[in-house]
Amino acid sequence: MAVATLERPSRDNTSSDPARRAPLVLAGNDYASVTEKVCRIVEVRKPPRAWTLAFTIAASFTGILGLMVLYLITTGVGVWGLNKPVSWGFDITNFVFWVGIGHAGTLISAILYLFRQQWRTGINRFAEAMTIFAVICALLFPGIHVGRIWFEYWIAPLPNQMSMWPNFRSPLLWDFFAVGTYFTVSLVFWYMGLIPDIATIRDRATTKARRIAYGLLAMGWRGSNRHWHRYERAYLLLAALATPLVLSVHSVVSFDFATSMLPGWHATIFPPYFVAGAIFGGFAMVLMLAVPCRQWFGVKDVITPRHLENMCKIVLATGMMVGYAYAIEFFIAWYSGNPVEGFVFINRAFGPYAWAYWTMVFCNVATPQVFWSRRARSNPWVIFAVAVFVNIGMWFERFVIIVTTLSRDFLPSSWNSYTPTWVEVLTLMGSFGLFFTLFLLFLRFLPMIAMAEVKAIMPAPHGEAHR
Amino acid sequence: MPPVELWRSLDDLAGDPTLRELVSREFPAHADEMLASSRRDFLKLMGASVALAGMTACRRWPSELIVPFAHRPEGYVPGSTLQYATSLDVGGAATGLLVTSYDGRPIKIEGNPSHPQSLGATDPCAQATVLQLYDPDRSQGVVQREGSGEPAPRTVEAFTTWARTHFASLDASKGAGLRVLAEPSSSLALLAIRERFARRFPGAVWVEWDPLSRDAAREGATLAFGRPLRTHLALERADVIAAFDADLLFDDPAALANARAWARRRRAPDDVMNRLWAVEAGYSLTGGSADHRIAVPSVLVPVVLGRVAAVLARAGALPGLPPETRAALERFSSHSFDDPRIAALARDLAGAPGRSAVVVGPRQPAAAHALAHLLNHGLANAGVTVWYSEDPEPARPSHREAIARLAGDLNAGVVDTVVVLGGNPAYDAPRDLDLAGKLSHVKTAIRLGLYDDETSEVCDWHVPQAHYLESWGDARGWDGTAGIVQPLIRPLYDGMSAIELIALVADGKTTPGYDLVRATWQARLPSPDFERAWRRIVHDGVAEGTRFVAVAPELSPGAAAPIAALADAELPRAGTYELTFSRSASLHDGRYANLGWLAELPDPVTKLTWDNAALLHPEDAKALGVKRNGDRVAIEADGRELTVPAFLLPGQAKGSIGLDLGWGRRRAGRVGDAVGVDAYALRSSDSLWRAEARVARRPGTDALASTQDHHIVDTLGKREQAIRAEELVRTGTLEEFLENRAFARERVEIPPDAPLWTPHAYPGHKWGLAIDLTACTGCHACTIACQAENNIPVVGPAEVRRGREMHWIRVDRYFAGDPAAPRLAFQPMACHHCETAPCEQVCPVAATVHDHEGLNVMVYNRCVGTRYCSNNCPYKVRRFNWFNNHKHATAVEMMVMNPEVTVRSRGVMEKCTYCLQRIEAVKIAAKNEARAIRDGEIVPACAQVCPTEAIVFGDLNDPESRVRAAHDDPRCYGVLEEVNTKPRTRYLARLTNPARGEA
Repeated sequence: MAVATLERPSRDNTSSDPARRAPLVLAGNDYASVTEKVCRIVEVRKPPRAWTLAFTIAASFTGILGLMVLYLITTGVGVWGLNKPVSWGFDITNFVFWVGIGHAGTLISAILYLFRQQWRTGINRFAEAMTIFAVICALLFPGIHVGRIWFEYWIAPLPNQMSMWPNFRSPLLWDFFAVGTYFTVSLVFWYMGLIPDIATIRDRATTKARRIAYGLLAMGWRGSNRHWHRYERAYLLLAALATPLVLSVHSVVSFDFATSMLPGWHATIFPPYFVAGAIFGGFAMVLMLAVPCRQWFGVKDVITPRHLENMCKIVLATGMMVGYAYAIEFFIAWYSGNPVEGFVFINRAFGPYAWAYWTMVFCNVATPQVFWSRRARSNPWVIFAVAVFVNIGMWFERFVIIVTTLSRDFLPSSWNSYTPTWVEVLTLMGSFGLFFTLFLLFLRFLPMIAMAEVKAIMPAPHGEAHR
Repeated sequence: MPPVELWRSLDDLAGDPTLRELVSREFPAHADEMLASSRRDFLKLMGASVALAGMTACRRWPSELIVPFAHRPEGYVPGSTLQYATSLDVGGAATGLLVTSYDGRPIKIEGNPSHPQSLGATDPCAQATVLQLYDPDRSQGVVQREGSGEPAPRTVEAFTTWARTHFASLDASKGAGLRVLAEPSSSLALLAIRERFARRFPGAVWVEWDPLSRDAAREGATLAFGRPLRTHLALERADVIAAFDADLLFDDPAALANARAWARRRRAPDDVMNRLWAVEAGYSLTGGSADHRIAVPSVLVPVVLGRVAAVLARAGALPGLPPETRAALERFSSHSFDDPRIAALARDLAGAPGRSAVVVGPRQPAAAHALAHLLNHGLANAGVTVWYSEDPEPARPSHREAIARLAGDLNAGVVDTVVVLGGNPAYDAPRDLDLAGKLSHVKTAIRLGLYDDETSEVCDWHVPQAHYLESWGDARGWDGTAGIVQPLIRPLYDGMSAIELIALVADGKTTPGYDLVRATWQARLPSPDFERAWRRIVHDGVAEGTRFVAVAPELSPGAAAPIAALADAELPRAGTYELTFSRSASLHDGRYANLGWLAELPDPVTKLTWDNAALLHPEDAKALGVKRNGDRVAIEADGRELTVPAFLLPGQAKGSIGLDLGWGRRRAGRVGDAVGVDAYALRSSDSLWRAEARVARRPGTDALASTQDHHIVDTLGKREQAIRAEELVRTGTLEEFLENRAFARERVEIPPDAPLWTPHAYPGHKWGLAIDLTACTGCHACTIACQAENNIPVVGPAEVRRGREMHWIRVDRYFAGDPAAPRLAFQPMACHHCETAPCEQVCPVAATVHDHEGLNVMVYNRCVGTRYCSNNCPYKVRRFNWFNNHKHATAVEMMVMNPEVTVRSRGVMEKCTYCLQRIEAVKIAAKNEARAIRDGEIVPACAQVCPTEAIVFGDLNDPESRVRAAHDDPRCYGVLEEVNTKPRTRYLARLTNPARGEA
């Protein structure tokens, strides 16, 4: 392991001098201070004011979500603004959006792990947590959007008195398996990574309740060599397992559209385009969460400017891929010579939903271009703003794909527009409430940075005894 | 001990006193516990009873009465349906019907194939009358309104007792102050009773009023022939038909027969295909089906007719024209209005003497009708394509005169009793007469009506009318064919029929309707065989040999002056518009306003539901500042003003505004109140059909509930619509067809199909459907038939606005061709039962699957409602139950449901099944009889009612079937075949037959 100098503590580690390895933990932190910094967030008696305020707001929106779902279930899907040609609107838009968000975490923890990108350690924990919560939000929507929720379990291949299998030809069934598998593997991956850190908190616990709670969660971790050995092996295996899932889950989600026959959906470009878009959106969400968190919880030394910069570069790269996909869609529509397909794309850009299309293009293609500038990449305000734009843009991407295609498909007699009702708008806001509620609880009760992994990429201590 | 005659046991016989004591008690054990108990015991008993009663409530089983038949009626099998023939009289012309009854309740109305005015078809309104029968808003008892007091319920007996005394008191004056205000009726029984009525009350006046009066035609015949003859068409013999503001395919008492005859001459293009010209202001369905349509303001329609006549006269095509008439026609030549197509029309008519028909509609003045008679005579059409019969009531004054005279009498105070038989004059009489106000002041006004409506509100007595499905009667079709009206169910609410009420007035006693009708027919039918003949008429629904006798009238010369006066017609002055009124395609004159099926039935042309609108030419709209549909305009005519949402209709004559009557009811019921605007408010007795109006934009926009073009379509979308309309409704001229019979198939390139696996074989039946777009007039009868057959819910205007109407078969309407003079193109659209159905592949729970006969079946039980199938359906024919649409249906409303079809719950998808229940019924019958299914035996509801036989269903594996022939027809094409759906519903391209060089 390269030895970095600790003599010159600096707040800027974004130098790209290839002769020097940039430090990933700054300000002269050592193992003890990292442990202290991360554990303190969980251990302080009173959470920061900002946390309490944020949690109150998020929990209120979760409550609203509950009410909206209750209203939906008791009254019928008609409380939403969906109609005859536009049978999917906010529901599936939100589903695809949240599934997309859920891509960054596993990508960071699995793919970057396999590629030995050591900077991942600073951000992987909360990115993974974000993944789990985003997928929970995502699963909510297909869960509630069906007409007869009480029979939804029929989608699962359960033994039943009718001797009926579900229809294995349906992309919705593939979704069920793809997202379900992804959720399960991500959850296991995340939880396994948490075990050594939970053990640390257990060991530092000062009350009996915390000892028991964290003790149970730590599953008897003692940090022995044997534990570590097995832990590393399992981690590698799970990373290898999760890596294809990162690619498969959004490919399968894109099949919902790609295997249908509607113009604007029926496109072979969808799987790579969706995966790129998901990574794009996911990283933007990680940035959006990382920028304030590192500030409020005082972990700027661990989530360093270099981390942010790396993620900005990924956002820039995937943003370009997404932009390229937008352009290629137009090219294919023209090149295929299919007039219906051609109309759908002209209609996207110049029809009644042109505002949504250009919002999407502006947010997803134009705004990330500021990351060509190094100054922009190192300015947290700019990063945060772009991340917000990208999240808006990615939500609109799904809205544009779903609604413009459905609202004007083959027969002009059925064309219609779609306007969401207040129920849908509040449900979308409520899903953000749920996401942030879970995320804030995570910040409060679990270590938001993978301490053990961060320590592994820190320079070994000199002279001092290991504390 | 008295001698025992009947004994119950040996103990009884032996006179055992214990037993005797026991049997003498009605309730042997503990029954008198209640009588001789203490307060405490009583409370104990009551407590236990209440507790037990409470326990019984734990069951949620509905309590039902089972009343078994002691003797099963002959021919009745519980659970199987029966059909009865009856007739529906609307506006004095009847349509023969067959009504399906299930366990004693009528559930479906279809046309009677043996009735010449139906031929098996029906219009949407007639079909929906079954919903009217079960309308919970129908009046349910006699109501008396004394003075201006609150309505008080009365029994029928109280009314009859009062009525007997009241009418007896009128005997002294010979009924001088008595008026009967009735809607037109063709009933022979009523005529007979009216004779008795006139004998008892010679001073009384019988006033007939029909807001959609066709009396202009009567007056025109009087001008032309000297007497009010009735005009009939025989379109099967006509090569050239010129309709002047005449909707002879839809809004005509003989529309069903006309449409059938017209369509037959268009289906076999190798014979001489007929050619239809339409001259009109607003789009009628006849204009929509026409080969040439000349859009001119209604006021100029007679001018076009006059110019045609003038051209014909000059060309010598009208032999034997009196000089004064010739001079009158010359006046038209100098009229400022001209159109190049007029000469072409004249040429076309001149080229088909004896094989053409000139028809003028009821909204045109009498002289225009006289001119048409002149032309038909000159062209030798009279007696061939057009024939005449004597009017059944030649002495009757016109509706307009009659109602004006009544209003005058009411004003003069010479009337003390008015009997209003049906109709709704307080709502639909010319507003300048203020009939509602006058009726409220008359001493005694008695109203017989289905609803306690606007008219009942101003009458002293309201008597509930028995629905025609609940009462006996008789009725004659436009051609005179008589049929019996027979009840299918006992009156739900103590109703009385019109003949019963008038018999009460005339005879002073109540006579059942059956006796009245039977007595009338007893007088007409041969006496020895009466019972047999009567039963036959009741069974068939048609009395043979009752058609009117054709007469061959001579033209009378008196018509020249009025015809000449037509040439003075001028366009409305600058700054004013011509306002024309028309019958609502769904609500008729407003009588069906409370029927959800009809209120939600899209107008064929505008596709509006739950609303009427002022139809404007787009340029007029621009001039008025109306930018989009729904913008409000104020229309002022005859000093009265009405604010109406505007609707931009391409093809509307410039300078003319169309407005549908029948909307905006105040007391229609829960469904129909305040739906649309009341156009009658602008109608005066001298401007029944046409008024000069000032129009101005008003602030505000109404959200119109349309089933097509739900939102404002931008330029981009409009352009694309026009391109696609040509591909979807493939239209060609006859000439193109004869040159290349497969022109329609070649219009869209179908990519070669290379299936990855062996396609399914359909060795048994292979059901298919074909729709002939040449014959489809867009009347929407299929939509209502489907709604009635398949228990399709009504969702209401708010849901239609959201685009959630539930119709399984819709009729797509496109405008095609030149935007200044567009063609209308209709396309009925229901599930195509694709062999490679996109919906089936995407359903995660396999709720929509294919059966072995090629039907795309929807398993409601299995559906979880992901709606993916609807997204993936390229035809967008699947309908989702966004809510529980039957939640508020009452028990009476549920009676209209077809028990053969599942009533769908909330959250499931539904769609056309090709009337699977009908297929199965025939299959079962054929199997029981051990025979093959005959072609044409299975008729889906939509095909059954189609007036033009445009829809054909059958087995594609049967080489002799009509549907096989249709699918093999060179005109046949599949919509969106290029996306490889392999649809089982296919279309026959629309052929038009424009005059040579005039396309």
